This record gives sequence, structure tokens and C-alpha cells, in this order.
Amino acid sequence: MRFRFLWLSVVLGCYVAFVLPLASAQETNPQNVLKNGGDFSDNAQPGSKVPEGVILVKGAWSSASDAVTPVPEDGKVTNNMFTDQYFGMSYTLPRDWEQKYEGPPPSDTGRYVLAQLRPADTFKGPARGNILITAQDMFFTPLPARNALDLINYSKNNLQADYKVEMPPTRTTLAGRPFAFLAYWSPVAQLHWYISATEIRCHTVELVLTSRDTKLLESLLLDMDKMKLPAETDPTTGSGGGDVPVCLKDYASGDNVIARVAPVFTEHRFNSVPVRIIIDKEGKVKHIHFLSAFPDQAKAITEALGQWRFKRYLRDGKPAEVETGIMFGRTPYTRTAAGQERAAQ
Amino acid sequence: MLHPSHFPACRGKQNRVPSSPFRDIDPGHSKLKSRGGPADESQTPDFETKAFETTLQGGIVIKIAKSVLTLMVLLLSGTAFAQTDPGVQSGSRGTGAVLSSVNSNSALLAFFTDGQNRFQAVESVSGNAAGNNGLGPRFNSNSCSSCHAQPAFGGSGAANNPQAQFVNDGVAPGNTTPSFITATGPTREARFPFFFNSNGSVNTSEPNGGVEDLFTVTGRSDAGTCTNSTALPQPSFSSAIAENNIIYRIPTPVFGAGLIENLDDSTLLDNQLVNLNNNFGISGTFNHNGNDGTISRFGWKAQNKSLHVFAGEAYNVEMGISNLLFPQERPLPGEDQLTTGLPASCLNLGGAGYPEDTSNPAATPNAAVLDDVSAFANFMRLLAPPPTGGVVLNGSSVNSSAIAAGKALFSSIGCATCHNPSPGTTQASGFTSGLSKVSVPAYSDIEIHNMGTTLTDNVAQGSAGGGQFRTAPLWGLGQRIFLLHDGRTTNLITAIQDHASKGSEATTVEEQFFDLNSTQQQEILDFLRSL
Repeated sequence: MRFRFLWLSVVLGCYVAFVLPLASAQETNPQNVLKNGGDFSDNAQPGSKVPEGVILVKGAWSSASDAVTPVPEDGKVTNNMFTDQYFGMSYTLPRDWEQKYEGPPPSDTGRYVLAQLRPADTFKGPARGNILITAQDMFFTPLPARNALDLINYSKNNLQADYKVEMPPTRTTLAGRPFAFLAYWSPVAQLHWYISATEIRCHTVELVLTSRDTKLLESLLLDMDKMKLPAETDPTTGSGGGDVPVCLKDYASGDNVIARVAPVFTEHRFNSVPVRIIIDKEGKVKHIHFLSAFPDQAKAITEALGQWRFKRYLRDGKPAEVETGIMFGRTPYTRTAAGQERAAQ
Repeated sequence: MLHPSHFPACRGKQNRVPSSPFRDIDPGHSKLKSRGGPADESQTPDFETKAFETTLQGGIVIKIAKSVLTLMVLLLSGTAFAQTDPGVQSGSRGTGAVLSSVNSNSALLAFFTDGQNRFQAVESVSGNAAGNNGLGPRFNSNSCSSCHAQPAFGGSGAANNPQAQFVNDGVAPGNTTPSFITATGPTREARFPFFFNSNGSVNTSEPNGGVEDLFTVTGRSDAGTCTNSTALPQPSFSSAIAENNIIYRIPTPVFGAGLIENLDDSTLLDNQLVNLNNNFGISGTFNHNGNDGTISRFGWKAQNKSLHVFAGEAYNVEMGISNLLFPQERPLPGEDQLTTGLPASCLNLGGAGYPEDTSNPAATPNAAVLDDVSAFANFMRLLAPPPTGGVVLNGSSVNSSAIAAGKALFSSIGCATCHNPSPGTTQASGFTSGLSKVSVPAYSDIEIHNMGTTLTDNVAQGSAGGGQFRTAPLWGLGQRIFLLHDGRTTNLITAIQDHASKGSEATTVEEQFFDLNSTQQQEILDFLRSL
């Protein structure tokens, strides 16, 4: 009896000493709510690691209403060849050249980095260099330029003092197509820039070659002579047509727009949202390409543009697809008189 | 019409690399290329060409000779000529001084001095005789100057991180020092890019990005009723590290900040137009203030509009002190998201109600009437830009001509497209002539740029996305210890290297830096440490 009492006391004592406090803690400890979730994790699910080197939280970014219609930023390097379906370009990279890193997303001023090529580690030569293939959407450029030739002239006229012009803007031929060409160099860095520019689908496409070795630049230029380009390519008149829509600046304005619905934005933002659209032969929006937009902006604009109706565009008397640009959001900055004065100073 | 054969190089006009204007001062001509390519045309290729020709003639022995020769050249180049970050420049350059125009205005100088003193004040939770109460309940540090210390008050993190001592020196006794806080590492704040799920896994569909304060006041003798570390736990740093769900930020220096604050938007926009005329693939944009839509400009992502906001946010987020701009205590992002908030036992610990920092109407002299946030803002606003200075490399002073050459190279290869020597001239100032109509030598365009996957932190702030950062002003760089937004390196070369990655606007410029010969690279590094 005495033993049984003693045993009961031990069991009861253990219960009071160990079990009750645990149960009590579970009832009152707010960490049972906080422990997992929000800022807290006991790492119960290892393997949910955030991937390294991936931009998951994007700001304003490019997107399109469908994944089939080519967009400029789809330019890629595969099997030693650069291709951009939107521009109808293809270019076989020189031996021992590569693209190590893809470029940034399109900017809200309509600038694209289509490819940035560099010598691979196996490259042999007295000096290295770079090939940068860029495009500037001429619907959205804030610079005072209407076409590739204008842009090359602007570039030359506004070169920094560090650079010296080697060859002023001139017309030339590359890959059998007309180009504008500018060469300049930096005496201090001994770097030479050879810029070849042309217009395709109302974009200025630039081939920027840089190196200290002008022989390398020569050979790269000769290599680029094998590039494939669409028939419309020209520094002043590359405006689509043929297999692609005709591109027309400001087509989405005035009497061309029969029905217009303003997008209803859910959040007040302050960025510019450049949008390229393709209008079908019936005057409806067929494709929307956001160069730079937050997802909520893209959604609101897509809903609105679905209700827009345009006059049918006739080419040689027949309906044709039109590609044009619309700027939503913040109006892009253009230099004021005061700004011009400041720049002049 | 011209054919490529008519281009200048093909006409024989520039059929060779032009002679370097620096040849006379470039006897070394290191050929050690970081990218494996040849750097200069005068030395290394000679060895390699001879060896290669010999190899063509035959035998294994000769091939080995080539390898040995190449190895010798590489080793010699590496030891004798490779470029070196001169490192933190130790001499006093006078950084941390007030704008000279303030010295002649005793009333304004009193405001600066008052702000400078408050910047150094150590905050308590409660019972501080000087009235510096309100710390916590969550915090990263207990004074502004503990983080903004190098090379003078107002700078970035110091060589010795005070946060590493907080658990042992009574500042955060009830806490565990997170593993990423070390005695000689960078002074840091931490953020979790994503929230955790209720099962403990990371939810990459739920961006977080807010500051996860490192410490709590539990265990402090002045923490009153906030004693339960179970009720107020530190965030799950070890899990976040294990799941790669953590990023760091170091303090931004604020020398010359009043000049940046006083740049008109149109000046920055004009400068952006100038920047757009580049052939480096660079095209930045601006972050904007959500209230009035104007350009915001302070912080690693240019998320803060003004020095007042910058100070108010830091006081609230980094030190847990509510103020006129941020009147509530700040819970962690998850405590806010889950609406659990802070425990009631940890609120109003100072006992004076909210906000904990407010103006002092009855105080004298005039400067004492201000709230702390306004005083901090005055101090930062009136700090002079960091002066440039000489550079010592491996114990020897660097020739000023090398620094000048580095400055020219920095511009020529495109670094200055973003790191503008000056984004413009300030507007008229209502504070002092030192802020009025003066150039701002910040070496920044104040734009935000896509910096690619190596630097991305997956934290969005304002209109800046996870991969976008404000061009870090480089003034004062010569005396900065920890570099990049998270202080991941102390070496300028690594910092430059990290500018290139997938999605970065700076890849081409970075490659052009490493395509320079070692002497030229060295000149740029010397120039940067002169800032």
C-alpha cells in the first residue's frame, strides 16, 4: 500500500513537473502561431530553397499578350548563331566568340540589348573586343531622332569630349543592305567604336563593335557582311511591310481610332508604359507587347485595348496589318528650354 | 555607297592599334588578363608565339617547354604586375565636416551641431535621463553613428561591427547574434525576400522584402514588461540562410546628401537624356515617390524621397523608434502580414506614449525644439561632400597623373555613363549658399538600373524591382571599407566584376574594364580610391 502510494506520488509528481508545464506552454505560447509563417520557420520543409541568381521579384518588365508573336527581346544565341525572329536577323558568331550573359530587359525608353558578344577564353588575338547588338524603338525614343540616320547623327553630335570621330556618319552597305556608319575612338583608352545602324520595323538596330584592335574590328565587319537581314532594312525607311505589319508612328491617334476605352489602373504609379500593338486587318488589336509594365498595368491596358477599334489601314487599296506604339502612364520627359540651356552649359 | 572595305580601318588609316599616350609611364604592361585574353601586344605574345612555333616543329619536350614558359610568364605577371585595389585610404581627408557656408551662419551651425550630437546619441528603451528613450522593441542598432561611422559620422559601416557585441555588452542580452554578424564584418540589416509558409517552407509567390530586425529588447534591464523572448522572438535567420531566403544591406553614407536632395527633377531628367546617348547598352530609369510622383533618391534603391523621410524611416525601422513621420511601433513584416503585431507587453515601453520622438516646444535653445528626425536630417543635409585625396598603394603614393589617367579611362570605357561625375547643378537653396547652384560631384546619375542576377536581391522598393539598384554615388569611395549593397566584398575588383551577369546593364562596361591592360586597370582603381 505504502509502495503503491509512493508510486502514485512519483507519477503525479512527474505529471505536474513535466507534462503540465508543456501543455500550459502550448496553450499560452504565441509562438505556436508565429513559429512557422511570415518571418518564422523551423525549416520543416527543407528543399524549398530560393534559387540562386534568378530575378523572381521583377519591377516593370516586358510581357506580351501571346507567346507566339515574335517580340524584339526574343533575340538569342544558340548553336553559335544569333537570331532575332522579330527583326528577321540571323548572324553566325565569329569563331571563339560567345554570349556569356544575356542583356537587361527592354527599358521604358524603348531600348533593347539584343545580344552582347565577347571573345571566349579560347580566343587568340592581340586584343579583345565586344559586339553589342541593340535596338531602339523609334516610337518611344526621347532623343530627337526619327530614324537610324538621325540617331547616328545625334550620337555623333553629342559625343562626350573623351571621344574623337574617326569617320563621321555616312551611308554604307552591310550584308547587302543600306546602313549608316559612324566610327569614333577614345585616345585615352585606345578603344575604337564602329557603329553600324539601320532601321527595321521602325526600330534602329545598331551593331556596336568595340576593340583596341582595328584589325579585329575590320574582320568583324567583314564577318557581319554575311548577316541575314529583311528586305525592308534601310537607315531611313525601314517600316515593315511584306511578311510583317507596316509600322506607323502615332497611328493610334486622331481619326484612326474609332473606339477608345481608357485603362482603369488599380494602383497609382509613376512610370511610363510603352506599348506596341499590332492591329489586324479588321481594325482590332491583335497583339500587345509591353516593353516595360507592372503586371497590374499590363492587365488593365490589355482589358482596355481589347475594346479599341481602329480604321482599317489600306495598303495599295487592300487592308493590311499595322504595328504602332502607344505610351500609357507617365508622359516621357522631353527637354525643356531651361534644360537645353543647362545642357549647353 | 560604302562597302565594309571602305571603313576607316580598312583604308589603312588605323591599321594598327594606335600608340598609347601612356606608354612612357607604362613600363610593366602586365599581360595577366582577368578574362584570359591577351592584354597588350608587346610582351607576352612573344613568348607564346615562339613556343607555339617550336611546338609546330614537333616533340613532347618542346611542348612542355612551352607550358613552362607560359606558366612562368603568368606567374611573373601575376606577382609583379597584376592590378591591385589600393584599399581603404587611411589618411584624414576632412570627411564629415560641415558645408563651409554654414560656418559663417551661427544659427544654422547650431542646428548642424545639434543634429550631429543627436546622431551619436545612444538610445535606451526607457529611463534615459537625457530623454533618449524608445529603442525597440525590435532594432538593428541603438544609435545612428554606430552604423554610419566610417570614416566619420555620417559614413558607412566601420571596420569593427558594433552589432557583434550587442549580446554581450548589454544592448541585446536576451538575443543570439545572427551568424552573418561578425566582429570585423559589415554592419548589416537583413531582409527576407519572401515570406515563409505555415509549414515552414519559403513561399516565392509571397514577396516580403521588409527589414527583419536583428535584435529585440528582451533581457535588457530597461525593457520593462517586455521580458519574454518567446513572445518576441528574433526572426528565423538560420532557416532563412538555409533556404537562401535572406539578403543584406549595409548603411549608405550621407556625406553631401543635401546636394543630392536639392537636385531638381528636371536636372536629373536632362541628365538621363544625356546618358541615353551611349553605346554600352545602358538605359536607366528613376524611382518615384508614391505621394507626389517626383523622383526619389536616397537608399540603395532610391526608395526615399528626402533626408527627412530617410531619417524617419531609419529611426523607425533600424532603431524601433516611432516618430513624426512613422508614428507607430513597427512589427516585423510577417507580424504585420499575419496581423499578430507586437506583443502588448512590448508596447509603449518608454512610457511617454507615441510617437516616441516628437518636437520639444518648451526646449531651449532653438535647435532643441526640433524632434530627432528633423535634427538628423539637418545634420545630413549640411554635411559637406567627401573630399578627394591622394592614394597610397603598397606603401607608396600614387602619382597624380596616374589618377588623372584613371579618371579619363573611367569615363571612356563607360563607367561614367551611370556613375556620372556630376548629374547636374542644384537648384537655389533655402538653407545655405553651399547647397545653392552648385555642381554635385556624386559620381551617380541617381537612376535605378538593372544590375543582373549576381547582384539581384529580389526585394522591390517603390518602382525598383528585385534586380534594380540606384547607381551608388562613388564620392567617398576611397575611404569606404565594405562594398556593394550587401557589403559582400572589400575589394574594388570584385565589386567591378559583380557588375556583369545575366540581365545587367553594366556587362559591356565591365568587360571593357577587364579588357584594358593592367596598368590602365590599376589607374582606374587608383582613381576610385582617390574619391
